[in-house]
Amino acid sequence: MSKPNFKHLNLRHPYLLALGLLIVAVLVNAYLQPNLFEGRVLNSNLRTFLPLMILAVGQTIVIIAGGIDLSVGAMVSLTSAVLVTNMQPDSPPGHILLVILLALGVGMAAGALNGLAVAFLRLQPIVTTYATSFIFAGLALWVLPRPGGVMPIEFARAYRRTMPLGLPLGFYVAALIILIWVFLRRTRFGNYLFAVGGQPASAYATGVPVNLIRFSTYVIMGLMAAFSALALTLMTSSGDPRMGDAMTLDSIVAVVLGGTRLSGGQGGVAGSIMGVIILGLIRNIISFANVPTWWQTLVDALIIIVALAAPGAVRLLRRRLTT
Amino acid sequence: MSKLRLSPPLIALLLAVALFFLGGLLAPGFVNLAQAINIIRLSAFLGIISAGQTLVIISGGEGIDLSIGAIVTLSAILVFRIVDGQNSMVLPALAVALLAGTAFGALNGLGVTALGVPPLVMTLGMAGVVQGSILVLTQGQLVGKTAPIMPKLISHPLILGVPGVVVIWGLVGLGMWLLLERTVYGKRLFAVGVNRTTSRLSGVRVPRTVLLTYALSGLLSALGGFMLLGFTQSVFLNLGERYLFPSVAAVVVGGTVLAGGKGSYWGTMSGALVLTLIGSLLTAVQLPEAARQIILGATLLVLLSAYGRQRSLRQ
Amino acid sequence: MNVSLSARNIVKHFGGVTALSDGNLDVSSGTVVALLGANGSGKSTLAKIITGVLEPDGGGIELDGRPVRFTSPQAAMQQGIAAVYQELSLIPDMTVTENIWLGHEPLRWGVRVNRRVLLQRTEALLDLFRGAFQPTLEPDAPVASLPPDEKQIVEILKAISREPRLMILDEATASLDSRQVQRLFELMTTWKQQGMALVFVSHRMDEIFRVADQAVVLRNGATAGALPMADASERKLVSLMVGVEARSPATVVGAETVQRRAETSARIRLATRDLAADRLHEVNFTVHDGELVGLGGLRGQGQEELLLALFGAIPFHGKIILDDEPVHFAHPRDAMERGVAYVPGERAAQGLLLIRSILENLQLPSWARYGAILDMREARSDAQRISDDLSLVMASLDAPVESLSGGNAQKVVLGKWLLREPTLLLLNDPTKGVDVGTKAEFYQKLTELRNDGAAILFYSSDDDELLGLCDRVLVMQDGHIRAELQGDDLTRANLVAASMGAPQENQAQPNHAQSDVQEAA
Repeated sequence: MSKPNFKHLNLRHPYLLALGLLIVAVLVNAYLQPNLFEGRVLNSNLRTFLPLMILAVGQTIVIIAGGIDLSVGAMVSLTSAVLVTNMQPDSPPGHILLVILLALGVGMAAGALNGLAVAFLRLQPIVTTYATSFIFAGLALWVLPRPGGVMPIEFARAYRRTMPLGLPLGFYVAALIILIWVFLRRTRFGNYLFAVGGQPASAYATGVPVNLIRFSTYVIMGLMAAFSALALTLMTSSGDPRMGDAMTLDSIVAVVLGGTRLSGGQGGVAGSIMGVIILGLIRNIISFANVPTWWQTLVDALIIIVALAAPGAVRLLRRRLTT
Repeated sequence: MSKLRLSPPLIALLLAVALFFLGGLLAPGFVNLAQAINIIRLSAFLGIISAGQTLVIISGGEGIDLSIGAIVTLSAILVFRIVDGQNSMVLPALAVALLAGTAFGALNGLGVTALGVPPLVMTLGMAGVVQGSILVLTQGQLVGKTAPIMPKLISHPLILGVPGVVVIWGLVGLGMWLLLERTVYGKRLFAVGVNRTTSRLSGVRVPRTVLLTYALSGLLSALGGFMLLGFTQSVFLNLGERYLFPSVAAVVVGGTVLAGGKGSYWGTMSGALVLTLIGSLLTAVQLPEAARQIILGATLLVLLSAYGRQRSLRQ
Repeated sequence: MNVSLSARNIVKHFGGVTALSDGNLDVSSGTVVALLGANGSGKSTLAKIITGVLEPDGGGIELDGRPVRFTSPQAAMQQGIAAVYQELSLIPDMTVTENIWLGHEPLRWGVRVNRRVLLQRTEALLDLFRGAFQPTLEPDAPVASLPPDEKQIVEILKAISREPRLMILDEATASLDSRQVQRLFELMTTWKQQGMALVFVSHRMDEIFRVADQAVVLRNGATAGALPMADASERKLVSLMVGVEARSPATVVGAETVQRRAETSARIRLATRDLAADRLHEVNFTVHDGELVGLGGLRGQGQEELLLALFGAIPFHGKIILDDEPVHFAHPRDAMERGVAYVPGERAAQGLLLIRSILENLQLPSWARYGAILDMREARSDAQRISDDLSLVMASLDAPVESLSGGNAQKVVLGKWLLREPTLLLLNDPTKGVDVGTKAEFYQKLTELRNDGAAILFYSSDDDELLGLCDRVLVMQDGHIRAELQGDDLTRANLVAASMGAPQENQAQPNHAQSDVQEAA
C-alpha cells in the first residue's frame, strides 16, 4: 500500500528532495561560515547565483515542454557581448534601457531560431541546440573578439548595492520569478507546457497547439538567457565572449536536482532555483571546509552525482525491501 | 544494387569528398595526396573517440555519453605518466588506461540502468568525477613523457606512407562492424535501442546490454586518449574536452539516429571526416574564429534538416 | 443544435498500406450510428479523419451541407466535433481535472484558470458516472494512478465537457464494466434526445443492438453497407463484415480443429499452484502435452498477467511446475531456455522492432546459437525456412518489419518463437487486427503445433476462436479462473455467462484443475 502512496506524494511534491538537500546544504554552510546570513554575505552569494538561477528557470520551462537547450551558455555570451559593446561608462539611463532592450531582442531572436528548428523543422533538440550554440558563440566572438567592454559604472554600482528592506536584490528577483511561475502554472499556457511535455500525441489530439508551445518555450529561454547575461555582466562589469560557456551544463544539472523530469511533463521552477542554490552552496562549502585545492573538483562532482542518484537509490532500496 | 540508396552515411561520405575538392577551389594546394592523408589522420582521432559514442547512442533510451572527453584526457595522462619515456611500459600503460576507462564507463552504465539517472546528467556528472580524479592524481603536475615508439606507431607514416593511427582506425572500423553486425551483442544492442519491451520479451537482458555498452564506450574513449597522446606527445587538462561534442556530431552526421536503434560506425567514420574537413577548410581559407564557428554550426543544422527530422504529429 | 455530417469516399494510406479505400458515413442529430468492422477494417482511421487527427488522402467531408476540411483537431473541435479515443488521449502526469479541461479551461480575467469553477464543473461531470467508479477517482487524482476503466470514463467526460454537437466514441466500452456501460448508454440516450449526433465504434454486437439506430459496416477499408438497425440482424451484420459468408475458425481450418479432450495418458507440461501476481489471484490449472487451452473472459481480467507471470516477465508468488519440476523464472530468458515462448498481442509495442529487418526480428531470441562471430548464412537460411513455412509475404528478409501488413507482421512475432521449437507456447490475443486469411493460416499453424505435441495456452478476446479452436477454455474474471469449459460445456452461452460471472447451464467441476496439480506434484 505504501508504494502507490509514495508515488502520489512524489508526483505532487517534486521539490521534496531538492528541499531536503537545500536544508542540509544551508546548515553545513552556516556551520562552516557563521556569517552566512549577514546581509553583505547573503547579497554577494545571491548575486553570484542569480545569473544561473535565471538561466535555469528558462531551461526548466524548455525541459518541462519536452525539449532541452544546450545553447544557453552561448546565448548568454552573445547577449552579454551585445550589452558591453554598446554601453559607455557614462551612458544615460535612456541609452542603457535601449541597449538592454536590444540585448533582450537578440536573446529572443536566438531562442526563436532554436524554436524554429526544433518545433517546426522537427529537429532533435540536443543536437540542434548544440549546433546553434556554435552559431551563437561565433556571433559573440564577432561582436566582441576579446574580453573587454564596459558597463555603465553608476548602474552597475547601484545594482550591486541596492538592498531594498535590507534584503538583497537577488532575493526579490527569485521571488518575482516564482510568483510569475505560480501565475503561469495556472494559466492555459501553463497547462499546455505540461501536456506537450507529458504526452505530445495526446496533447495534439486534444487540440493543444504543440508546435507553437514548443517554439514559445525556446523564445522564453532566449529571453531568460538575455536577462541572465544582464545580471552576469552587471556583476563582472565587463564582457567576455565565452563568459556563458560553463553555464549550459550547470543549468541542466540544477533543473534535474530540482526534481524536474528530464524527459518532460513534470517539474517546476522553484525546484530549479533550489537546485542552483544547492550547487552554489556546495561550492561555498568546499571552499570553506578547507578541502585541498586538488580535491575540490572531485568532491564537488561526487556530491552532485550522489544527489542525482539519490532518488534512484531510494527506489532501489524500497523495491528490495518490499519484495 | 538496391543497397546503394542514398543513405545518410553515404551522403556524409559524398559530402566529405565534395568538401575536399571544394577545398581545392578555395585554397590552392589543398587537394593532394599528402593533404588527403593528413585529413584522414586527423579524422582518425575523432573517429576512434566517437566509436563509443556511436554504441551509446544506438542503445537508445536518450543514451549519450558526455564523459568521453574527460576519459580521453584521463587515459592520455595515465599513459603519459606510466610510460615516462620507456618503450617497454607502453603496453602496461595502455592496459591501465583501458581498465580505468572501462571502469568509469561501467559506473555510468550502473547509474543509468540500476539507478535510473538520465544518461545526459549521469555521464555529465561522471565527467566531473573523472576530471576531479585527474586533478587529485596529478596535483596539477603533468609529469611524464611519451615513449619514442608511440609517435612512430601512431602519427608517423607506418606502411606505404599511411600513418599508424589510420591503420588502427581501419582496424577499429572493422572491429566495430563485426561487433555491430556479426555478434550477439550487436544484434541485441540495436534491439534494445529500438524497443526495450520487445527486447526483454524476446529474452534480451536489457540492463546488462546497456551496462556493457557504457563500459565499452569508456574503453574506446580510453583507446582514443592513448592515440591522441601519440599524436600530441604532450598532455594538458582539457585535452579530450574539445572532442566531446564533435563526437556526438560525428555520430549524428553519420546518420545514426539519436533516438537509438539505427546507425553504423562507418557512418560515424564519414561523419568524423566531414567534421575534420570542415575544420581544416575553414582554417585553410583563413576565416576568423567567429566565422568558422558560425559556419560549423550552420552546416550541422543543414545536415540535421536533411535527415535528422522527427516524425510529425499529424500524418 | 442540429447537425449533419457526411463523409464521402475517404481514402487514407499509411506508408504502403491502405487503411481506408472508400470510407463513407452519414450521421445527423438525434441518432446513434454504429460503426462496425473487423479489426483493421479502418474504423479508427475513419473516426480520426472525421475528428481532424489524420489527414485524408482522398474524399471529402460535408458538415451541415457544406464541405469542410479540418487541418487540425482544433478545427474539428471548433465545429463541435469531439471524440473519445481508444488509445487514450490523456496526459498521465496531469490530474483528472486538468485533463478534462485541457485547452478549454474556464478562465478568470481571461488568463488565469478559475480553479473553483473548474472543480465544480468537474464534480458535475463526475456525477454523470457517480456510483459506477471507485472513490479514488477524484478531481485531483493524477490520471496515471487510475485503473483502465476510470481512465476511459475520464476520456468520455473530457469529450462531453466540450459540449459537442457530434461525438465519436471509438471502442469506448472496451475497458468498462457492465455497470459503467449501462450508465454510458443511458447518457447517450439523453444526449441523443438533446440533439447530439453520435458515432459509436464497437465490435460488441449486443451493445450495438442496445444503443444504435443505424449501422455502417466497414470491410477492408471500404464501407460495405449502411442500414437501419431495425432491418439488421446479427447474421446480416456479420456477413457484411466478413464478406460473402461468415467463417468461424473451425470452418476455416477444417475438420482437424474439432476439439478433443486431452488424452488422459498425455503428460502434464504445465501446472500452477496458487499462482498470484498483480491483478492475479491464486490461479490453479494444468496444460497437457498436445493440448490447446484457451483463456477467456472479458478484457483485462488477469489473462495477460497470467501469461506474463508464466513467462517470467512479471514478479509472482506461488508455484509454477513445468515438466514435473518447480521453476521460478526471474526473466523471460530463463523461461525461453526451458522451451517457453510468448507471443504478445501488442505487436508494435511488445513484439517487434519496427525499424529493423525481418531477419533480425525473427532471430532476436536465437542469435546466441550462431556462434561468437555470427554465422549469417546459417541464420538467414533458418529465417528463410520459417518464413517459407509461414508463407510470409515480404520483399526480402532485409526489409524492415514496418513494411509488412498487420497479419504478416504478426507471423514474424510467431515465427521468431517457432524457430526455437517451443514446448509451451503462450499467446496473448495474437490475431488482433489480423485479416481473415492470415487468421486461418494462424489457426492451421497452432493446430499443427498442438498435434505435434506442444502445449499451448491461448488468450483470445474473440469468442469464436476459443470456441472453434481450443480443447478446453479457462474463463477468467477479476484475476481468478471462474470456470473451465470443455466438451459439450464449451458453448457460446456458457462462455458469455462465465465471463460475466453468471451461473452456466451446465456447471463444470470447479475442482478439476486442483486435482490435476496434485497429480503433477
